Amino acid sequence: MSDGHFRLLSFLITSARGCVDEPKIYGPLRLLDAAMRLIDIMEEEGRATPEVLRLRGLIEEALDVLMHDEEEFVRRMDELSRELAKIIKGQKT
Amino acid sequence: MEVMEAIRGRRAVRRFTGEKVSLEDMKKILEAGIWAPSGSNVQPWEFVLVMDEDNVERVKMLSPGLFGNPSALVVLCVNRKRAERAGKMGEESALMDVSMAAQNMMLAAYSMGIGSCPVLSFNKAALRELLDIPEHVEPVLILTFGYPKFWPKAPRRRPLEEVVHFERYGRRLE
Repeated sequence: MSDGHFRLLSFLITSARGCVDEPKIYGPLRLLDAAMRLIDIMEEEGRATPEVLRLRGLIEEALDVLMHDEEEFVRRMDELSRELAKIIKGQKT
Repeated sequence: MEVMEAIRGRRAVRRFTGEKVSLEDMKKILEAGIWAPSGSNVQPWEFVLVMDEDNVERVKMLSPGLFGNPSALVVLCVNRKRAERAGKMGEESALMDVSMAAQNMMLAAYSMGIGSCPVLSFNKAALRELLDIPEHVEPVLILTFGYPKFWPKAPRRRPLEEVVHFERYGRRLE
């Protein structure tokens, strides 16, 4: 139960089932939640760079506004995507 | 605490301090639940209280909509056999009954400084298996409980003028 990978696996399977019946906006919510859980695992394994940890903060902020301001949520997801692109841009192939 | 104060102050809390809610306080919250109204006084509810840390974690693993680290969970279920006593309407009214019990619990919790959050996104089949819930009992809602890290701000409410129809549908309340 303490295995982070298994916990993420469980989250993904139950989320997939849930998304069939849930509101559309729950799709991005679950994916961002999964991303945050993945960053937690990367951190535990010493593989999360400061840039990646910063992404987690941005995800948290986006999730905070989701329930009361969907427009702002989308704006923050765009910001998150831009930040991700900056990380990718700086990576060596 | 005034009832209206609790109604207006309650929030869906998704971040908790980690401090434990006592069993005694959870019993008070559950007591508020059983005093909810129910159709034909059928009281079709069953409440599964989960407080053991490992068990809370297990439920979390099967509930994508369950956020944070709550101290306790209540799985609210409809007992279909009891609901049948309310006739054809039993199935529908049972959901309303359980919802009213849930609101009672959340308001009682708020009056005690305890945060709560209703969670619908959980895997029913898996939860049944995990908690040994029998076939005629259906889990319909999870409530999380814990001391809030902060009380979230209130989402906008649709105003009375928009929601209320005075005497007939479409006539606005001035």
